[in-house]
Amino acid sequence: MVYIPPLNFAPVVSTAVSLYRSGYPMPLNYPFIADRLHLKTVIYVGDKDISDDYKNFLDAQDINYEFVYVKSCRDANINEQMDQVLLKVLDKKNYPILIHSNKGKHRVGVVVGIIRKLLQGWSTTGIYQEYGIFSGGLKGEVDLEFITMFDTELVVRKDGVPDFVKAREGDDGAY
Amino acid sequence: MAEPDEDDDHIYVNEETELGTQRVRVAHAPARRIVPPLNFCPVERYLYRSGQPSPVNFPFLLDLRLKTIIWLANEEPQDTLLEFCDAHSIQLQFATINPDGGEDDNPWDGLTEHSIIAALQTIVNADNYPLLVCCGMGRHRTGTVIGCLRRIMGWNLASVSEEYRRFTGSRGGRILVELLIEAFDTRLVAIDQERAPRWLART
Repeated sequence: MVYIPPLNFAPVVSTAVSLYRSGYPMPLNYPFIADRLHLKTVIYVGDKDISDDYKNFLDAQDINYEFVYVKSCRDANINEQMDQVLLKVLDKKNYPILIHSNKGKHRVGVVVGIIRKLLQGWSTTGIYQEYGIFSGGLKGEVDLEFITMFDTELVVRKDGVPDFVKAREGDDGAY
Repeated sequence: MAEPDEDDDHIYVNEETELGTQRVRVAHAPARRIVPPLNFCPVERYLYRSGQPSPVNFPFLLDLRLKTIIWLANEEPQDTLLEFCDAHSIQLQFATINPDGGEDDNPWDGLTEHSIIAALQTIVNADNYPLLVCCGMGRHRTGTVIGCLRRIMGWNLASVSEEYRRFTGSRGGRILVELLIEAFDTRLVAIDQERAPRWLART
């Protein structure tokens, strides 16, 4: 069996829980997703309606599909859209999760950058570098500025928070 | 043995706990930031790749709770990394590029089949996890080993190359590396099903 992962596929976090990133899965990627990832949730950050093929595949695999409409990080309600993604990511029940956009470069890059910053405390240079690896060297200044400036105000159940999220007592940030 | 009153108490406590489930606030980045090594990326569960870690990356590495680091080079890594591994009981494995090369060896040479196999034998054994595979820049040598691992995992060649090139920077991938990956005989790596990481176990 030859497995074909989706374009720009990679794990974002792979410890007790698994969070993956990629471009839009095509039918030739379905065996890989079904046999290798055992997903519970797919989050699509993008602007396309779901294809019939894809919907049938997700239904057959019993994978929850979460559509977060994002055109770019310049969208008017981008903060709410990001919160919608973060709330899914902050609940262990939803894992394993695949977050994808169309090419797995910019929109996913922004989501991953925000996870790296808010939940894991990565330095800005580390976040920029990772963004560059997956965008093929395209700088995406607007995206990077958005990641740098983004903060939010979410309150979630402590027992649902996955292990990779930084727990620092007394720190007035992400717990 | 519980009195009815105590039972009630117990239930009451439970209800209170349920109602008052601890909540956490997520607002901005933690005050103390961690710095990933150059070209860092997870590969599979508890398996990571990167360029050579320097002291600024050590707090980041500690979070990974590494048991093993595979260093793909002929020369030793920086003393600081050796000391870090010593201090935190991390096993540092050298997989020299070309053991017979001696003085003539240079970092532009590809890995020999022997050194690829040596690195992969460590990777296919879950006893060594969590594990980091690294070389100077985390591009070509690391890319060769991870590429061969992907072939063992049954990935198609175009996807293996796509992943390799992602990490090679603006000058792009080397044909020599891709040829090495393509020509690699995956049967040369002996996988002990008892010890293999779950994602590698035969399905």
